[in-house]
Amino acid sequence: MAKSNMTAGKRAASAILATALSISVVVGVGVTLNKFSADPNGKLFATKEADTINVDGKEYPKASLTMGVYADTEQAHADGFTGMKNDWVQYGPSNHLVLPANTYITMTIHGYDGGEELNNPFFGKVMGTVSGTVNIDGVEYDSLPYNKIQHTWTLHGIPQSTQDPLFVSVPLLRVEEDDEIGWVPTEDPITNFKGHTITFSFLTKGAGEYVWNCEFPCGDDTYAKFGAAMSGYGYMSGKVTVTA
Amino acid sequence: MTTLDSQVGSRAIPNPKNSLITKLNAGTGLIVGILFAIGTYKGLSNTLDTSVYHLHNQVLLATMFMWSIGFLVGIGAFIGPVRWLVGKDLTAEEQLYMAGDGQGISRYFKYCTDHKVVGIQYLWGVITLLAVGGSMAMMIRTDLFNSGGHFVTAPIYNSLVGLHGITMIIALIIVATGPFGNYIMPIMIGAADMAFPRLNALSWWVLATAIPVLCSAWFLGGIPTGWTAYAPLSVQAGPGMNAFLATIIIFAVSTAVAGMNITATVITMRAKGMSWNRVPIFVIGATVSVALAIPAFPTFMVAMIQTAMDRSFMTGFFDANVGGTGWLYAHLFWIMGHPEVYVILVPGVAIIMEIVPVFVRKPLFSYTAAVVGFAGIAGLSVLVWAHHMYMSGWMPMLNGPFMVTTEMISVPTGLIFLVILGTLWNGKPWLKVPMLGAYAFLWNMLIGGITGLYLSDVPADQYLHGSMYVTAHFHYTLMGAALTGAVAGLVYWYPKMTGHMLNERASYVSFWLIQIGFQILYLGMFIAGSEGQPRRVADYASEFINSNRISTVGAYTVGIGFIILLWAVVHSWRHGKIAPMNPWGAKTLEWTVPYPVPLTNFDTPPVVTSDPYGYGRSAK
Amino acid sequence: MSQNDNLDLKPVPGERLKKFLRRSDVLQSTLFGLIITGVFIILGGKYYPEWMPAAMSTDMKAIVKLMTVFTWISAPVCGVVLGIALYSFLNRHKGDTPPPDGPATRTNGPVVLLWSVVTSALALVAVLYGLTEQNSTSLASARNAEDAMVVNVIGSQWAWSFDYPEYGISSHELMLPIDRPVSFKVVSVDVNHSFWPVQLGVKVDANKLAETLADTTPTKLGEFDVKCAELCGLYHAYMETTGEVMTEEDFNSWVSTQDGDRNTK
Repeated sequence: MAKSNMTAGKRAASAILATALSISVVVGVGVTLNKFSADPNGKLFATKEADTINVDGKEYPKASLTMGVYADTEQAHADGFTGMKNDWVQYGPSNHLVLPANTYITMTIHGYDGGEELNNPFFGKVMGTVSGTVNIDGVEYDSLPYNKIQHTWTLHGIPQSTQDPLFVSVPLLRVEEDDEIGWVPTEDPITNFKGHTITFSFLTKGAGEYVWNCEFPCGDDTYAKFGAAMSGYGYMSGKVTVTA
Repeated sequence: MTTLDSQVGSRAIPNPKNSLITKLNAGTGLIVGILFAIGTYKGLSNTLDTSVYHLHNQVLLATMFMWSIGFLVGIGAFIGPVRWLVGKDLTAEEQLYMAGDGQGISRYFKYCTDHKVVGIQYLWGVITLLAVGGSMAMMIRTDLFNSGGHFVTAPIYNSLVGLHGITMIIALIIVATGPFGNYIMPIMIGAADMAFPRLNALSWWVLATAIPVLCSAWFLGGIPTGWTAYAPLSVQAGPGMNAFLATIIIFAVSTAVAGMNITATVITMRAKGMSWNRVPIFVIGATVSVALAIPAFPTFMVAMIQTAMDRSFMTGFFDANVGGTGWLYAHLFWIMGHPEVYVILVPGVAIIMEIVPVFVRKPLFSYTAAVVGFAGIAGLSVLVWAHHMYMSGWMPMLNGPFMVTTEMISVPTGLIFLVILGTLWNGKPWLKVPMLGAYAFLWNMLIGGITGLYLSDVPADQYLHGSMYVTAHFHYTLMGAALTGAVAGLVYWYPKMTGHMLNERASYVSFWLIQIGFQILYLGMFIAGSEGQPRRVADYASEFINSNRISTVGAYTVGIGFIILLWAVVHSWRHGKIAPMNPWGAKTLEWTVPYPVPLTNFDTPPVVTSDPYGYGRSAK
Repeated sequence: MSQNDNLDLKPVPGERLKKFLRRSDVLQSTLFGLIITGVFIILGGKYYPEWMPAAMSTDMKAIVKLMTVFTWISAPVCGVVLGIALYSFLNRHKGDTPPPDGPATRTNGPVVLLWSVVTSALALVAVLYGLTEQNSTSLASARNAEDAMVVNVIGSQWAWSFDYPEYGISSHELMLPIDRPVSFKVVSVDVNHSFWPVQLGVKVDANKLAETLADTTPTKLGEFDVKCAELCGLYHAYMETTGEVMTEEDFNSWVSTQDGDRNTK
C-alpha cells in the first residue's frame, strides 16, 4: 500500500464510477438493440365496426383489417405503402397487427405476387377461419393446390396457460402472367393494381401475443428459399397482439 | 506513482537504421487492412453482381480475408518471410527491435516477438472478448426476463445467442493458453522465449484480425444459427454468416500456429534438469490442450470452408437435394466440438492444480494421476463426438457405443478430483482469492460433471437434448470450471505480469458475486430445462417465467461481479500494491525472476533439480 | 491420505485404520459427506419429478425414474468430494502470510487404486443401467411396430404438420389415441428441426430427405406440447403446437371431423 498514491476513498469512488460506467455501457447497448427491435412500420390497428355478428349462437363485435403483399419495393410504393429498404417481397403497411379480443376479424389481403411451389403442401389448406374457407375474388375455397399459391398468412403462437390458442392459416392465390388454366388476375378496385383480393374471417379469443409468418418459400436464391425476406424480420413475418 | 514503466523506457532502444519494421505498427496494419478490404470489395463488386446471393457471399468472404491479410502486411508480419525468399533474414538489430525491449507501451501495438508482450496482448484480447460476450449474455437474459419477448426481435435474439456463443468459445479457448501459456509458461520451464517467437506474434495478430470480422456480423444482419452453425441453416443464412465463417477460418490458423509453437517450446526448450516428471502441471495441461487443438480445429475449418463453398459457389456438401447431408456437418463440427470442450477445460484444471499446492503448502497429490487424468481425457475426448448426435437420427444403433465412451470419461475426470482433494487433505489452506477459486472449481465441476452424466445417457438425453438443461450443464463446465480456473490464474499470476498485487477486497467481492450469482443463474436454467424449455428460444411459454426470472437475477449478479473484477484489473495495473518477487511463496521458476521480467527472462539459464512441489515437512 | 504420524508406531494395519477413523478431520469430513449425500438423495428424488412435466407415456415415465436414480448414484460422489472440500474450507489458515507446510504426502498407492476402481465401477453401473433402459425401450418399440399407428411428422420453418396416412387426414395439432403405440416418421422440408412432444418424452431430429423414427405409447389422457428443439432460424421459438392424448372414441370422432382432402404433390 505504501507506494500507492491513492487513498481508500478515492479508490472506492473510482470503483463505483467504473462499475456505473460499465453498467451504463451495457444498458446503452441494450437500449440500442431495443430501439432496433421497434416495429419497422409502426402498429397496424384493426378498425372496429358498429355492428355485431352471431357465430355459433354467440354474439361477436366486428373489426376489419386490410393488408397487401408486394413482390418488391416498387410495387409497395405504387400502393401507397412505403416498402422497407431491401428490395424484397413484403407484407405491408405494417407487420405488427393489433386486434381486439373476442372479436370477429375480417382480413382483406391484396396479393400481387406470383409463385412457384409450396415446400409443405399442407399449407395449401385453409385453417382456422370461421367458415373454413377463404374468399378469393368473390369465390370461396377451402384449399388451394400447392403450386397455385403466392404466399400464405399463417398465424400461430406458443401454447401456454396464460393465453388462448389461436391458429389461422390461409393460402393466397398467386397471380398468373398468362391465364392458361383459368385463374384470372383481378383488377383491384382499391389500388387499380392487378392482383387478387383475398378475404377471410376468424375469431380472436382472449388477449395474448402471437406471431404470423408466410409458409411459402419466397426467399429467393437461398437454401429452401427460406432465407433473405423469409428470415428477415418485418418482411414476410410479424407479430399479432390481441388486446383485451 | 510507480516508476517501473519509466525504468523500462529509459533503456537503450535498438536502432536498426530506419528499417521498415520501425515504421510499422497496428495503426499501419489497420490502414493497409482497410485499404485491402475496400479495394477487394470495390474491385469485386464491379465484376460480380452483388444482388445475387452467392456472388454477394463471394465478395464478402474475399473482403474479410483480404482485410486480415492486409492487416498482417501492414503490421510487418511478412517482412521476415519475404527476406527469406530473397535469401536474407532480419539483421540482429532488427530482431532485437522486434523483441520490443525498452519500447514502453508502444510495443503492445507492434508485431512484437517477446512472449511476455504477446501474453499481455492475449490477456487484453481475452478481456475484450469476455466483455463483448458478457454484454450479449446480459441482453439475452434481459430478453428472457419476460415471456412475450418484447425486448428484442427474434432475429436479433438469435444473433445474440449465436454471437455470444462463438465469442465466449473463442475467448475461453485462449483464456488460459493465451495470456498464461505465453507469458508465464516459458518462464515456468526456464526458457528464454518461445521456440518460434515470430510465429508467436503471428498467432496473436492473426487472432486480432478475426475480432473485427466477428463484430462485423452485427452490421451484416447477424447470424440465425447459434454458435454451432448447423447446416443447412447456415447455408440459408444471410450475409452475416460470412463473418462467422471467416472468423473461424482465421481463428483456426491462429490456433494451429499457437498450438504448434507451444508444443514445440515445451518439448524442446525446458531448462536443464527439467525431466518430464518435473514439469509444472500447468505446463502439462496447457500442452495437452493445445496439442488436442491441433487435430481438432482443422476439421472445424473444413466444415466452415464447405459451408462457405455451399453458400458462395453453390456446391452441395450439406444440401440433401443434391446428395449432401446435414449430418456431415454435424460430424465435422462435433469431431472438433467435443475435444474443444477439453481444450478449454484442461488448462483451467491445470491452473487449479498449480495453485492448490502453493496455498495448502503440500505437494501435488499424485502427479502421475494428474498426468494420466489429462491424457485419459484427451484420448477419450476424440471418441465421444456423436453423443451430441444421439437425437439426430443419424445412426441410433451407435448411440450405445458412444454412451460407453462418454461415460468412461468420468474415470479420468475422477482422477482430477482425486488429485485436488488429495492435495487438500491434511492441509490448512490459505484462503486467498486464487484458492477460493479452487473450491468454486470443485463445486462447479462436480455439478457440471454429474449433469453431464444424465446427458450422456441416451434415454435421459431423449428428454434433455436441446433444452435449457444442456445450456446450464455446459456453462457449469466451461464457465464454472474453466473460466473460474482462468480467473484464479489471473489473480495468482497478476503480480508477475504487472508487478502489482490485484486489489484484494475488490477481487473478494467480485469472486463471491460471480460465484453466488452463477449458482442462481444456472439453478434457474436447470429448472427451466427440466420443465421442458428448449434452448435458444427468443420467447417461451409463461409456464417457465419463474425459473427464467431466477436466471436473469443471477446473471445480473454475475455481470456486476465481472465488472468489479475488470475495475480491479485495470486499477491495480498501476495503482495496486507493489508485488514482492514471490508473493505466494511458490516454488515454480516464474517466481524467481524479477518484475519487469528481463528480455531473456533469466540472467543465467536455470538448472532444475526437483519438481516444483517440494512443500511439506518431511516424513520423519 | 497420510498416516505419517503413526507410520512407525503402529505397524498393525487394523490398528492404523482404527486410529485413522477416529481422527477428527476424518469424522468431520465423513459427517459432512453423509449430510451432503442425504441432501442430494432427497433433492433428486423430490425435485426432478416435481420439475419435470407429468409423464404421459411409457418413455417419459422411464426418463423421470432414470433422472432420479442417476441422482441417487451420484449423491455419494458429491458426498465424498464436497465433504472433504468443505472440511478443508472450514479448517482454513488465517493471516496474511502463507501457512506452515503440511505433510509432504506425494501420493498414496492404495487410495489412488481404490478411487480408480470405485469411479470405474460407478461409471460401469451408469453405462449398464443406461444400456438396459435403452435396450428395453427399443425392444418395446420393436414389439409395438406392427400395430402402431403411423404419424408422418413434417417440420417446416416454423410450423409442424402431422399426416395420418391410416386415415388420410392431416392436422397442425397432434392428436393421439391412448394406449395405442404410435410410430413417428419425421422429416423436414427445409433445415434441421427437432420434433419434441415434451410430455411424451420423445425427441428426434427432422432432416431433409431423410426419415427419422421415434415411437412411444401414450398412457395418460390430456394435452401436451410439441416443440422444436433445434434452432431453425427466425421463428424457432414459435415453432410449437399442442397435442392431445384422447380416448379411442374421442379420437375417432376427431378423425371424422377432419376433411380428407390432403394436398399432395
